[in-house]
Amino acid sequence: MTIQSEIQALKCADCARSDSAVSDLRPDSLLPIPADALSGWQDGRPGSDGVTRRKLLRNGVLGFAAVYGATQLSFEEVWEAAVAQAAEPMQKSIVVIYLNGGNDGLNCFVPTSAPEFAKYQTLRPTIARSLGDGVGGKVGTTIMNNTGGTLAFSNKLVSGTGADRNGDVIGFDTLYGDGTGGVGSDLAIIPAADYNPPNRSHFESRDYWFAGALSQLQTGWLGRWLDTYGSQVNPLQAVSLDSSLSKQIRSATAPVCALEGLQNVGFGVPGVTADVNSEVGKLAAVPFGATNAALGRSRNMMGLTVDVANRLSTLSNVAPGPGYPPNSGLSQKLQLAATLLSAGMGTRVITIDWGSFDTHGDQLAGQDPQLSTLSRSLAAFKADLAARGVEQNVITMVFSEFGRRLEESDSAGTDHGSGGPIMLSGSAVKGGLAGEHPGVNVNQDGDLVVKTDFRTVYQALISEWLGGDPNAILPGGPFDGIHRYDGGTTLTKAA
Amino acid sequence: MTQTKNKPHKGRTAQTVKTRRHRLHVPPGSTTTFTPTAMSQAMVDRLFWRAGFGPGAADRAAWTGKSLDDAVDSLLNTPQGALAGPDPNVDGKPLDPNGNDTDLVLAWVDRMVRAPNPLVERMTFFWHRHWANSRAAVSPTQLMETQNALLRTYGDMAANPDVSFSTMANQVSKDPSMLRYLNGESNVKGGPNENYGRELMELFTLGVTHVITGAKNYSENDVAQLAKSLTGWLINDKDPDNVTASFDSSRWFNGPKSLFGTLGNYNTDTALDLVLSQDGHAPYIVDKLWSEFMPTPPPTATLTQLAADYTASGRKLKPLVRSILTNPQLFESIDEPNMIKPPVVFVGGTLRALGLGISSAGPATYLDSMGQLPYFPPTVAGWEGGLSWLNTNTALARFGFVADAIANAPNGSPAKVIDIPSETPGAAFDRAYGAIGSPWMSVGTRAAIQDYSTRASAKASKDRIARQVMLRTLMLAGPDAQVM
Repeated sequence: MTIQSEIQALKCADCARSDSAVSDLRPDSLLPIPADALSGWQDGRPGSDGVTRRKLLRNGVLGFAAVYGATQLSFEEVWEAAVAQAAEPMQKSIVVIYLNGGNDGLNCFVPTSAPEFAKYQTLRPTIARSLGDGVGGKVGTTIMNNTGGTLAFSNKLVSGTGADRNGDVIGFDTLYGDGTGGVGSDLAIIPAADYNPPNRSHFESRDYWFAGALSQLQTGWLGRWLDTYGSQVNPLQAVSLDSSLSKQIRSATAPVCALEGLQNVGFGVPGVTADVNSEVGKLAAVPFGATNAALGRSRNMMGLTVDVANRLSTLSNVAPGPGYPPNSGLSQKLQLAATLLSAGMGTRVITIDWGSFDTHGDQLAGQDPQLSTLSRSLAAFKADLAARGVEQNVITMVFSEFGRRLEESDSAGTDHGSGGPIMLSGSAVKGGLAGEHPGVNVNQDGDLVVKTDFRTVYQALISEWLGGDPNAILPGGPFDGIHRYDGGTTLTKAA
Repeated sequence: MTQTKNKPHKGRTAQTVKTRRHRLHVPPGSTTTFTPTAMSQAMVDRLFWRAGFGPGAADRAAWTGKSLDDAVDSLLNTPQGALAGPDPNVDGKPLDPNGNDTDLVLAWVDRMVRAPNPLVERMTFFWHRHWANSRAAVSPTQLMETQNALLRTYGDMAANPDVSFSTMANQVSKDPSMLRYLNGESNVKGGPNENYGRELMELFTLGVTHVITGAKNYSENDVAQLAKSLTGWLINDKDPDNVTASFDSSRWFNGPKSLFGTLGNYNTDTALDLVLSQDGHAPYIVDKLWSEFMPTPPPTATLTQLAADYTASGRKLKPLVRSILTNPQLFESIDEPNMIKPPVVFVGGTLRALGLGISSAGPATYLDSMGQLPYFPPTVAGWEGGLSWLNTNTALARFGFVADAIANAPNGSPAKVIDIPSETPGAAFDRAYGAIGSPWMSVGTRAAIQDYSTRASAKASKDRIARQVMLRTLMLAGPDAQVM
C-alpha cells in the first residue's frame, strides 16, 4: 500500500495536520489553464478581437485552478486580464514556502562562540552539530561569511558530496556567498524570528504567521495585500500549489486560486461504453433544497468533476528543470511554480506547503534529509528561474510556525519552542545575516529569547519589494526594522 | 482547521433553536411529520445510516411503524455478536493483519460489513477518530489491534453498559499504542516530552477554548505541568504479540506540579481526573459525539443539558449516545438527507447493500483515495470530515469504488449482474433499484436515471449487462448516494 509519505514518518503526527489550508471556504469555480498560457503564448497572443474560450482552449488545457473570491468573473474576463498582464513587464513576485511543523533553527544555523557552543552541545548531547567537519558521527558545520565567525551553517545545508553535506554542487552556501549582500550574495538568513509572547500551538502559531497578525484573522497577510494592491480580475495572481487555498492568500475581495497539479480526470464504469460523464452530469444538475449543504456539495462536486473532464482535451506535464533533487514533492511544486511565473499570467504570489518538521523524536533522521532537499531545491529553483529569464523578479521566502526548544528531549528530538528561521532567496535579496541570533539565551520556559518579530520581515517585503504601505496590511505596525549583522537595514539590494 | 475545530458556538440564539424545531415538524416540502412513536421508513433509514451502515430489509421490516426509543435501545442493548457470512479474503487468501497493513485495514472493514449490530463498529470507529493513532507511526502492528480492541469495549455498550469516558481516557493513556504514537514512552522525569500532554487537552478532552463560552481551557503552563504528571510509562515490546505498558516510578516526576492553579503531586490517574473535571470537558465531548451523528451543532440549551446529564452520570457513554440518537434533530430534513457519508460508512454501506464481502484489496485502496484509511488518520486530530469529504478527487474515488464493486462482482455473489434478454427499460430500472437495497433517491434523480435506461442500448447481451451495471452504479455512486 502506498501510504508512506515522502519523508519517513516521524513519531509525532502533529506535523501532518499543520498545513496552511483554508478549510471553511469553497472554490467558486474551476479555471482551465490553457496550454498556450503555460507555454508563454508561443502561438502569439490572441488578437485585438479579444480572447475567446475557443481560441484559448484549442491547443489543450494543462490544468485547472480552483478559483476563490471571483464568482462574478467569466473565463473570458480572467484571460483578458491575464493576457493583458502578459503584455506588461513582469512584476515583482514572491514565492512562500511553509515548512510544516516547526523547523528547528538551532540545527540549521549554529552559534559558534565557545560558551554558546558548549551550552548547545551540552543540552543537545545526541543531536548537536559539531564545529568544522563532522566528528564522531555528528554533522559538521561551515562558518557563515560576514558574521564575524559567530554562526555556522549545518553542513546538511551546504553543497558538497561529503557524508554530512547535501550531495550537490549547489546549496545554501553557494546562494549565500560572501554574506555581504553584493553580487552573488543572494540568500538572507534571519536565524530566529517569532513574536512576543511566543505560542507553542501549531494551529495558533501558524495562523498568526499566515495572518501576519497575532490573532486568527479571516484573511492572510498576502491576501490583504492583494485586496489593496492586486488585481480584482485575475485569480492567477496568487496560487496555492495545493488542493486547497492557503490561509496566507485568503483575501476579502481579490480573486485567488489553488492549483494542485496537472492531471486527467473523468468518471468511468468498467464494461460501459456509454458516456458516463454525461450521465453523471445530468444527476449533478438535479435541483436540491436550498438549505441542504451536504446534498448541494455532492451535486456540485460531481458536476465540477464532469466539467473538468469534459474540458480536458490535451494533457501535458511540466518538463523537469535542471538540478532539482529527484523524487521530491518540493521539487515538483517548485518546477510548477517556475512554469507559472515564467508564463506571463500575472502571477505575483505562490504558496507551497512542504515537509514534516515536527521533530519531537529522532530529529536527525527527520530533519536532516529535508534540510538537504531544501537547500538543493532552493538553489535549483533559482537557477531554473534564471534560465527562464524571470529570476530577477522573484524572491522566495522560507519559514515555519516556530522553532524548537534548545534542550533536546529524551527521544532525541526537540519539543515546540520559539524562534524559527526565515530564509530569503533571490538575486534581488541582499544576502547575509539579516537578523539577530539569540544564541543559546533562553527564558524561564526554555524558549529562545528572540529579538526579531516576523512581521518586520513582512513589512520589509511589502515596502521594499511588493510595493504598498505595510501599515495598511499589517495590524499593529509599524514594526522594528531589519537589523543586519553588518549594520544594514534592508532586505533587498535595490532598496 | 483550528478555526473550525475550536470555534465557540456563538450565535445560537433562542430564535435559531425555535426555527429548527419548527422545521423539524414541518420540513420544507415534507410529506412526513416527526412521529417518534411510529417511525416512517425514512426515519428508520435515517437512524440506521447515522448509527450504522445503512438499513437492511430486515431493519426496515422490524422498525417501520415502531418506536424510535425501542429501536435505539435495541441498538444499544444488542451485543455485536458473531460476524455473519463468509470470512474475508484477498484473491482467495485469508487476511494477515499483522503481516500486511492492507489486510489490517480490510479486517476492520470486514467487521463493519458483517457485524450484526452496526452501532458497535460505528462507535468503535468514532473512538478511533477521536483517539486518532496512526499505524504510520506505531509499530508493531499489534499495538493498533490492541488499542482497537480496547476501543471496541467502549463501542459495545450492550456488553459493557456502564462504561465511562473517564475509564476510557485512563486506559487509552496507559495503552502502548498511544504511549508510542504521542511519545508518552519518551516522556520521563528530567526530560519531559509534551506531545501527549498537549494533545490530551487540545484534542482529546477539552479543546483549546470552551465550546460554549469561548474561554481558554488551559494555559501553556498546564501543558508543561501535565506532561510532567504523565511521566513514568514504559513499553515492553520484546514479544510483539504481548506488548505491555508499565509504570516505572523512577521515571516519574515525583514532586509538586501546579495544574489548573492547583498544586499536587499528580500522576497519570490524578492528573486525568483533574483534566476531566474541568468545566470545558463535558461540552467538548458532547459536541464532538453529537457531530458524529448530525451535520449541524446542537442548540446551546441542548448542549448544556446533555453536558450536565453526562457529568451527573459519571461521564457514562451509553446514556449520552441514547440521548443523541433519540433527539429529534437527527431527523432534520427527513425527506432529503443532509449529511455526507464518511468514506467508511459509504464503503461499508455499499458492500452491505450489495451483499458483498471482502474478496480483494479494493476497499482499502479506494478508502485511501476517498481520504479515510482506517488506522491511518492523517493527523492526531483524526479526519476533518463534514463537507470536506467531497472534492473532485474523492468524488471520483467513490464512484470508482462502486463501479468496480458492481462490474467486477465475484461470480455467484448476489451482486453479480446477469442478463435478462427481454427486460424493458422500466423493468431494468426496477431490478437495479431492488438489487442495491432501494435507497432514498430524489424525484429528479429517479427521472434522470429512468431516462438513461430508456436511451441505453439493449441489443446484445453485453449491452443489457452494461445497462444494468450502469443503472446500479448511478444509483449507488451518484450524488444522492453520498448523503444520509
